Amino acid sequence: MTMRRFRHTARRVAGELEEPVREAGRLARKLGLDPYPVNYWVVDYAEMNQLIAYGGFQRRYPHWRWGMTYDRQQKQDQFGMGKAFEIVNNDNPSHAFLQESNSLADQKAVITHVEAHADFFANNDWFGMFVGESDLDAAAMLERHAEAIQRYTDDPEIDREDVERFIDAVLCLEDNIDQHRTIGDAATGRERIQPEDLRKRLDAMNISENVRRQVFDDEWLDQLAEAEAAAARLDAPRRDVLAFVREHGMYYDEEEGKAVEMEPWQKDVLDMLRKESYYFAAQKMTKVMNEGWAAYWESLMMGEERFAGTDEFVTYADHQSRVLGSPGLNPYKLGKELWEYIENTTNRAEVADKLLRVNGVSWRNFHDIIDFEEVQELLQPDPAIDGVRSDTLDRLAALDDDDPRVDWETLDAALAGDVDVDAYPWKVLTYEGLAERHFSLVKPQNRGFLKRIRRSELEQLSRYMFDDQVYDSVAEAIADVDRSAGWDRMREIRESHNDVTFLDAFLTHEFVKDNHYFTYEFTRSTGEFRVSSTQYEDVKKKLLLQFTNFGKPTIVVFDGNYANRGELLLAHQFNGIMLDIAQARGVLERLYDLWGRPVNLATIVKEYDEHDVEVARRRNREPTPVERGTRIRYDGDEFETFDLDDEITDRIRATDIDYDTKPDEWLS
Amino acid sequence: MGLREDIERFREVGEERREDLEEFISYGDLGGSGPDSIRIPIKVVDLPEFRYDRLDKGGVGQGQGGTPDVGQPVGQPQPGDGDEDGKPGEEGGDHEYYEMDPEEFAQELDEELGLDLEPKGKEVIEEIEGDFTDVTRTGPHSTLDFERLFKEGLKRKLAMDFDDDFVREAMKVEGEDAQSVYQWCRENHILVSLPWIEDEWTRIPEDERDTWASFEEMEENVERTTTLQRIRRDGLRDIPFRREDERYRHPEIIEEKEKNVVVVNIRDVSGSMREKKRELVERTFTPLDWYLTGKYDNAEFVYIAHDADAWQVERDEFFGIRSGGGTRISSAYVLAKQILEEQYPWSEWNRYVFAAGDSENSSNDTTENVIPLMAEIPANLHAYVETQPGGTAINATHAEEVERALEEQDNVVVAYVSSPEDVIDAIYSILSTEAN
Repeated sequence: MTMRRFRHTARRVAGELEEPVREAGRLARKLGLDPYPVNYWVVDYAEMNQLIAYGGFQRRYPHWRWGMTYDRQQKQDQFGMGKAFEIVNNDNPSHAFLQESNSLADQKAVITHVEAHADFFANNDWFGMFVGESDLDAAAMLERHAEAIQRYTDDPEIDREDVERFIDAVLCLEDNIDQHRTIGDAATGRERIQPEDLRKRLDAMNISENVRRQVFDDEWLDQLAEAEAAAARLDAPRRDVLAFVREHGMYYDEEEGKAVEMEPWQKDVLDMLRKESYYFAAQKMTKVMNEGWAAYWESLMMGEERFAGTDEFVTYADHQSRVLGSPGLNPYKLGKELWEYIENTTNRAEVADKLLRVNGVSWRNFHDIIDFEEVQELLQPDPAIDGVRSDTLDRLAALDDDDPRVDWETLDAALAGDVDVDAYPWKVLTYEGLAERHFSLVKPQNRGFLKRIRRSELEQLSRYMFDDQVYDSVAEAIADVDRSAGWDRMREIRESHNDVTFLDAFLTHEFVKDNHYFTYEFTRSTGEFRVSSTQYEDVKKKLLLQFTNFGKPTIVVFDGNYANRGELLLAHQFNGIMLDIAQARGVLERLYDLWGRPVNLATIVKEYDEHDVEVARRRNREPTPVERGTRIRYDGDEFETFDLDDEITDRIRATDIDYDTKPDEWLS
Repeated sequence: MGLREDIERFREVGEERREDLEEFISYGDLGGSGPDSIRIPIKVVDLPEFRYDRLDKGGVGQGQGGTPDVGQPVGQPQPGDGDEDGKPGEEGGDHEYYEMDPEEFAQELDEELGLDLEPKGKEVIEEIEGDFTDVTRTGPHSTLDFERLFKEGLKRKLAMDFDDDFVREAMKVEGEDAQSVYQWCRENHILVSLPWIEDEWTRIPEDERDTWASFEEMEENVERTTTLQRIRRDGLRDIPFRREDERYRHPEIIEEKEKNVVVVNIRDVSGSMREKKRELVERTFTPLDWYLTGKYDNAEFVYIAHDADAWQVERDEFFGIRSGGGTRISSAYVLAKQILEEQYPWSEWNRYVFAAGDSENSSNDTTENVIPLMAEIPANLHAYVETQPGGTAINATHAEEVERALEEQDNVVVAYVSSPEDVIDAIYSILSTEAN
């Protein structure tokens, strides 16, 4: 697909967007963001859908799954869901694609949104982990992969279907990597040798049954085998299943009737797909944060800095409400609200810190002494900063010439008529100036937030405060407030967190209550999902479940020589939620193509006795399931299910976590 | 090369993904289907992955305008629960369906099971209107073949249609006149008439007359639209309907025997009929209903629930009812007999009487009452379906007794269903008995 557009519409659209693109980049930097440079492309509807199918890139390796995504995207469009406005990829420089049919207001919104994403890509440590020391050049990497896999597909020596089948198998495990470590570190696991069961050697030695029974009774042999097996087991189970399979996997050769070494092309494909998994992992791990971040800055730039232009603002507000008002748990909304919450709490702590240093103010009398109306008044931005217009520039000029809030150079240019201050008032201000202009606690929706600070928080703030008598008046204290505290803190957090730590650290009681979050569980008594809790702890627990390990169960490699027969033993680290067994079997079937020998999965299944369900239904209670350790084995031909020995059952059961939020009184 | 190939490959992979009919009957979700349309889930082609059991996982939702109460149902889990990559609401729904009407269902089942049930036309001679195959140029308005009129009109429209905006732009080329624009249009296969151009000529504002230096420059800068695009954009506004395209149809009158069927479904709803047994009955009866609906011109259904007494119910309650009482199967046959005699005379209706239960009956009721009634009620077929997950209980002998007593009668069949795997066999033995 060529991106150079000469068609009339595309050219017109591109021309219109040049200025917004340039200015959005500048505004983002003024606001303290540090994005990768972004290249923008104007594409039509079909190209947009193709880019979405390809995960934001122009070329990917040949595989039917892209076709599936494309198909779904189109179907959703038909029903008016999931209309795409933008797509931006994580690359340096980033590439963003704008649909030519968007209105100008939509385009501007998309551009501000994209700049914030590019900042996140460039500065979040989880993205940094993949980049490492080298330069990120994702488009080129994915294109290289596309070409290499295309070559294998076209190679007359290699069966085309084999390549596809192999890719299918790897893709089933694409999330089974060790995303918290670098791709290099995750690949190294400890080698070990599993001792052979003595019985086999005895069989080989042709010792008579009699002697054997006297010397080596079965119990003794069992104990020995067990002890040795336990000693040899991996101390730290491997989470990077793909790496383990790459290292020890084989494939079953029909002609030879045994497992043989993987072909070089197979190893190559596995390496490439695993690398892509690591590349995309950061995006999957920071969905809430990243979307929230982009939505936050988009809203600030578009709404509050009026980047939208007055006449476009209505269309913009409509677009914004459509995106944020989608049903269900919306990562944009959740993320944006959390970022705003962080901004507000940081700013509040900053203001409280200064106020506690006023003579006579302590955490005990804070709420009685402080006149919050007065504080609110004092926090209002300087009118010169707040109302920047071409006809009010002299007010700015009248400030001290070392006032850090004013961009003096640009102000001079503006006074000379070289800057369009009415369109871009932010140009004559600095980061400090903009922080004052947008200080969160004076926004109408946040009035009262300061007053709601808890005494416990005040007490904590003052505990280690030595200079607590710095100011003589509240006015003096407020004048010293660092208005950029909130934004500074937000940037720190966007550097180090991922969705799990982000939710864990910042999802508060207040937040869950204000936003009406609840958990739901399936009830066997009614055969429906029902609201199970509105408690903060439960909501948080359930939310964390949805984001921990990409929202998927953790599967680790326990043994690469299980039962001493070279079988693979994977284990599901059970956290109270059982696996989708049909899906798991499907994975095992394909995993066999990567292992070449039988594959096993240890898991715990919950079983409900029909009678219990019946009784529970009658009493309108929930039945208690029996949890049974199970090993599912697939040998390339059929499945078998075994009871799992207690030792492994104990090892895979995490005793300290319980994601079930059913109220006690539901249980029978 | 590229996405086009990926899409094609996806279609190939997705073919044959409709759930196998036998598998659907035995294990599928029958609930999504209605009497007129059978919805067979299409298997999702996507690759499997290690993921949580959907029911066991639960989730988090956000209340609209307030926090809901604990215990309130939430319907299906809300989309965008973090399972999928990308945007909220991206999950379009895993369940796609292949829809069949009962005729197709019957045909497919015939093919799969090798059945050939020929519905019998009953002795009802009716004059019915055949296909509207005869055609005249005049007739009552209601028999006007509008489809044909519309199609002919559309053909006309397409033949006469041209890109008027484009032609208007052509009129803005410097130094051209109506005649030369017309000439140029003809050369470029634009189907415009000279009068239209002359008419339009006066409406072009003077100051736009020399917008373009040449036709070439104009062509480079103005995008053309196709007829299809214009129709999409403007809708089908003026279809040139012509009298000469009008055709009126009238039906042939033919005499035909109508194939009527009434199906009586009888189900034991007494206390011993647990969840599993009920489900097995539904699995067996529902496809039978669909099949017969598909086979006959006109199918009616009677649903009778019974414990020690029998009563008639509606279809949507039929499979859900539970009662506490004992069992007397004959009560259902007494009611069936009465309904059939009153509403569905044997001379006019094919009759199927299907009963299901766990073979438990009050003592002597089977031999003394049920068997004589079954022998007495004229029907194409009497079937008893015994549903006993996990084998027969000792005192559950109804099915055996019926089988033994009525073996000789070729319109009686007894089928045993103890698990979903048996459903297809039961359906086969019921429908093939009738075929004889």
